[in-house]
Amino acid sequence: MMQRHLILEDGRVFQGLGFGAPATTFGEIIFHTAMTGYQEIITDPIYDGQMIVFAMPVVGASGIHAEAYESVKPTIRGMVVHDLAEVSVNRQRRMNLDRFLKQHNIPGLYQVDTRQLIRHLRETGPQKATIVDFADEHAVDQLVATVLTNKQVQNTATPKPYANPGRGRHIVVIDFGLKHGILRMLGDYDANVSVLPYTTSVEEVLTLDPDGIILSTGPGDPRTLPESVLTLIRVLQTKAPLLGIGLGHELFALANGAELKPLPSEHHGMNHPIQEIISRQIFYAMQGQGYAVDDQTIDRKKLFVTYRDLVDGAVQGLRHREFPAFSVQFFPDAAPGPLEATAVFADFFETVEDYVEHYNQQ
Amino acid sequence: MSNTITNNKIKKLLFIGSGANNFGQEAEHDAAIYQVMPELRGHGIDVFVIDENPYALSLESLAAKTFWQPLTVHNIKKIIRDEAIDTVVPLFGGDVSLRLWADVVQSWSHGDGNVPNTLGLNIDMLLKVNNLPALTDFMAKNGLPVINNYVLKAQDEANELLRTLHLPLMVRALHPNQNNTRHIVERLDEFEDTINLAKSQSVTQEVIISRAINGLKEISLEILRDVRGNKMQIGASEDMDPIGIHTADSLSVSPILTVQDQLISQMRDYAFRIADILQLQGVMHVQFAIDDDDREIYIIKVSPYIDQMATRMALATGYPTMLVAINLAMGIPLEDIKLPHNFGTNTAMMEPMMDHVVVKLPVFPFGELAEAGIDVNRQLNSVQKSVGSTLGFGRTFIEALEKAIRSAHFNNASFSPTNMAHINDDELIQQLIHPQDNRVLLLIEAIKRGYEIDELAELTAIDEFYFHQLQHLHKLESEIESDIDSITSLRRGKKYGLSDGLIARFWHTDFNIIRTLAKENDIRVTYKAVEPSAGEFPENARQYYATYESENESIQIDQRAVLVIGSGAFRMGDAASAGYATAITMSELRRLQYPTIIMNNNPSDATLLPHLADKQYLEPLEISDVMKVVELESPQAIVIPGNRRKLINALRDLNQRVIVLPKEKHMPDGPNDRQSEFALNFFFDGQNRYLINVTQHLAGEMRIIAHPTTLSDEILAMPLDNPGVYQVIWYQDTVRWQKQIHLSTIGNGGSWLRPMPYGQIAYLTKIMQVPWIRLTIRAGLNELTTQDYELLENVDSMRASERLSMISADVNYQLHLQPTDVIDGTKFEVGVGVYDYGKE
Amino acid sequence: MTNKEVLDNASLQRALTRITYEIIERNKGGQDLVLVGIKTRGEFLAHRIANRLEQLEGVKIPVMAIDITNFRDDVLNHDDSLGLNDEEKTNIADKNIVLIDDVLFTGRTIRAALDALIHIGRPNTIALAVLVDRGHRELPIRADFVGKNIPTAQNEKIKVLVQEIDGRDAVEIVH
Repeated sequence: MMQRHLILEDGRVFQGLGFGAPATTFGEIIFHTAMTGYQEIITDPIYDGQMIVFAMPVVGASGIHAEAYESVKPTIRGMVVHDLAEVSVNRQRRMNLDRFLKQHNIPGLYQVDTRQLIRHLRETGPQKATIVDFADEHAVDQLVATVLTNKQVQNTATPKPYANPGRGRHIVVIDFGLKHGILRMLGDYDANVSVLPYTTSVEEVLTLDPDGIILSTGPGDPRTLPESVLTLIRVLQTKAPLLGIGLGHELFALANGAELKPLPSEHHGMNHPIQEIISRQIFYAMQGQGYAVDDQTIDRKKLFVTYRDLVDGAVQGLRHREFPAFSVQFFPDAAPGPLEATAVFADFFETVEDYVEHYNQQ
Repeated sequence: MSNTITNNKIKKLLFIGSGANNFGQEAEHDAAIYQVMPELRGHGIDVFVIDENPYALSLESLAAKTFWQPLTVHNIKKIIRDEAIDTVVPLFGGDVSLRLWADVVQSWSHGDGNVPNTLGLNIDMLLKVNNLPALTDFMAKNGLPVINNYVLKAQDEANELLRTLHLPLMVRALHPNQNNTRHIVERLDEFEDTINLAKSQSVTQEVIISRAINGLKEISLEILRDVRGNKMQIGASEDMDPIGIHTADSLSVSPILTVQDQLISQMRDYAFRIADILQLQGVMHVQFAIDDDDREIYIIKVSPYIDQMATRMALATGYPTMLVAINLAMGIPLEDIKLPHNFGTNTAMMEPMMDHVVVKLPVFPFGELAEAGIDVNRQLNSVQKSVGSTLGFGRTFIEALEKAIRSAHFNNASFSPTNMAHINDDELIQQLIHPQDNRVLLLIEAIKRGYEIDELAELTAIDEFYFHQLQHLHKLESEIESDIDSITSLRRGKKYGLSDGLIARFWHTDFNIIRTLAKENDIRVTYKAVEPSAGEFPENARQYYATYESENESIQIDQRAVLVIGSGAFRMGDAASAGYATAITMSELRRLQYPTIIMNNNPSDATLLPHLADKQYLEPLEISDVMKVVELESPQAIVIPGNRRKLINALRDLNQRVIVLPKEKHMPDGPNDRQSEFALNFFFDGQNRYLINVTQHLAGEMRIIAHPTTLSDEILAMPLDNPGVYQVIWYQDTVRWQKQIHLSTIGNGGSWLRPMPYGQIAYLTKIMQVPWIRLTIRAGLNELTTQDYELLENVDSMRASERLSMISADVNYQLHLQPTDVIDGTKFEVGVGVYDYGKE
Repeated sequence: MTNKEVLDNASLQRALTRITYEIIERNKGGQDLVLVGIKTRGEFLAHRIANRLEQLEGVKIPVMAIDITNFRDDVLNHDDSLGLNDEEKTNIADKNIVLIDDVLFTGRTIRAALDALIHIGRPNTIALAVLVDRGHRELPIRADFVGKNIPTAQNEKIKVLVQEIDGRDAVEIVH
């Protein structure tokens, strides 16, 4: 394995050994404290264009599995770990991490003092970074000159509608960079799913006569999306039960007049207690967020807060006062992450059932 | 920790200790009880504890009223009555305590008044937990994946069952009269004997038979649940060794490395559901068997109480499990529990994350027994053979493994890398299939001989990840061996946790040379904090481990600090007494207001309790490990057990101030069943000798018997280096307790001087209420006070709180070890209790 | 007789939570809202919902409990006090009432409660929330808020367990 380098925008250089693809890449670097689910994390479109440092000391030992993809093609820009576990590719483990990253032209770096790097990043926040062979001035100049894209949703969301048929309720998913976990959960309820691009119109959605609508997860800053998306949400929330997840939650908040603020430190992991305010119950879920809905800007006549992170106090869920429309910042699809969070989907489908029943009776 | 809510109903609370140490039962329960007592006092609760173990620290706690008595239903009931106990906490004493408490509750009669409230589990659930088939049924009814149990009394019923169930089968005793033991039946001809063995271990002569799931992967989860039903995962581990080897005898790794998130999440969900149906308020350990390929999960054991997993996870993650557990038991919701100030976030609700690997390595008594000429069955199976364990902390599996091995075997040549060279291929295959204690070396040897990894994985049912790791280690070692004096190799070796000593062996030199070479080339040890946020939040950690990374986080704590070197894992002979001595030492240093640093690696005793030290190094205890810490901390003094002579000399050579806790190099033999060992005991303060008393020791029992008036000139003339408790020993062929001792018999050739074993010191401390180890430490630090001297000069040698003798625990060596010879219960002590001879 | 759990603790909590959210959706701001629980389990459920509203909105919604054992059309000797005191009786006038019961079956209990409430206080509106709707209605009564529809056979029984009485929360079918 070849010696390679991670350079941060603030000039810090970390040395390590290369694995995966020998490519030179640029991206925003963040750290992740989850101890399981590296495959789901690196294939989750929410990390489009980013480099991920794992706190988990040994990564790769459980291989790469067909049932744990969160997207067909991973679009992260790099993976930094302390120790890379070698596992052979055989009957049980048909793919390993090294080979997987090579196939997708993603560089990895290991034998890095990731604890030092994380302790550094928790102070500086996310920053631009590059993985290169030589940490020379040229590489630093290139990093400084590089402008990272803010078109992550465009990069990851589907450009065309498609169906994921089932025999149950008809759910329309608006795709902002959908992760597979959401489709898997909908599959558990045997939902008949239509996935539409986020550029879809109200008419297109309503023509499909959905029993419920999901605003998907997705990468980046939702404020870079066109205003038409917010208009779409404002109409749809009055038409059928609606659930926003992750970026979908942030959009639901924006559509109802709230604003976003950056978190004091980004949070990517699954160990923060999240409280359901109405029942005071605490649970854990996968979280990945740099922004949170700003409490001060929530119009309490329209929305109320349903979930909160008990570590940083960040809003983790909202609900509309007048319509069966709600949203969660965390990822309730448990891919990866604790199963207890999947109760959100149970809530959603119960609401859908209620709505359908009510509708039929009227 | 402070809390706004307290349960006002709790006024007087009783802990039931776990009794004598035994296989599978070290000092974890005593440590847990000892740790939480001050917390309860802080809530204004009067705390009581009963235990029979002379090494119980909780019995010397100032935060409680203590009862050093045999653990019997009668004694527990009496305390409850006399002290008007309103609340009992059995869960901190583990399954022994749980069984006892169940017995107390079941024998409760009208005349006994109200049954005290049980914290943590209600009585219904407690009885269920105590009855394996009932618990299994209960879980099955709630849709949880368990393995069916069949309860049988007669052999023909068992034979009938053989028609429907296929071998291998697991056989256990129902209502076991000691720690539960699982037996695996693989061959038909073993069936009857095994049934009979299990029957003999059952109070009711009944056995439980179920399908054995040998070869699956064993996973442990540690979780907690509060009164509101909130649940949280504290930690998890995977065993390298497959099911079929007792989990205590397995090499165990945290965090889980080889299992996918989906399976882990599913197990977590099951564990949470179990906690819910049990309505648990506290912590719980759940063991699972999983099949990665078929994605099957079975629940194999549920332990809703403190056990070794609980203490191990607390150390591995830095999460204050015990303090949280007692708050949960009192009905305080998780949301309202605040952690001590040294945690980055003060909420108890953040699930601990790990950025390091912790390997638990069991410690087996085979080496010591072999030296005494006793052979035992070394084959690992479902019956526990290990007597202790050590933890190795590192940033990679290999580093953690290397450190665990060094911690477990720092004076054991059987772990030499060339040890397996002599074994022939047939034996190798046999041992791969039927592993022994040194299987890690065997696996490396197999790799050396060119066996394919999938072949090995198939033979051993060990995940191939581990073979890749061991292959990597093998390559690394060969590289170092062939590349003498290469700095690149040295750097790589250090990064993967190879010790100076091991590299020195490869390069045929001395570890000091390696140390110097590393230093000259700027290969420096770094210390990383063990803290539960994995770097997410700023922390004021107190726990550190060594690794070779770029950033060091540990800085000198205080130049007045005293460093205490622990004794590592439990071993036979020393048993729990060494941990007791270390913990008391630390407590005394804290009392004298010395900033205290501990180095140790035993997860199952009190030495690594957070409140006993200002700083902890979770490290092996080889000379080079100690030297590195000494260099960083420059302590004003170092406390070391007396058997570490090389270390003591090395430190004295460096002009370090060393305080020795006197101890023999090897645990001495005890009397056989035809003789008595007598000891004239005295204390040495560095100058003068103070008579204590005479004790008589029959095989299995020790009492104070006499009160001589003076020490003979001969004894006064015996040279001594270090302050401490000493004894002059002589033997007589008698098995009667002596009333009078003729001191003329002492010193006539047949007697000799030695430091008093820690176990006897613990006994004398408790029975006489004189703190002998504290006095030793004070003498070593020149801190003895006038009152201390008054006490020493007027020791009432017959003074005893009660007529209690110290007796050997009822340890079933035959079951665990199948030895070829009688095992000396003194030299190879596993545990001790007390016997009340006042009734004789 | 066998008991089969059809709603576990977590699902039961979720059902109550959803009912609460729906009550908020339909009673903007919760003004003039009064929860009336039908004794005995309906009363506990009413308190649970009120607690949830308080957690969420920081407002205390009045909760009353009525006892209609003497008010059913199949029972003679109507006692119309319903266990309410005079103050409570006046308090329901012009209010938006949510009547809460554990199980909706034939509808006779609800009808009795409706009769009684209208008789004593003239509320503005009355809505009905039930934890379980098990079908087999004998009267034209429909719940506005349903925790869970559980279709049952006539000979089956639905047992709602609540922590306050039974030590745990669950719904079981007994047959």
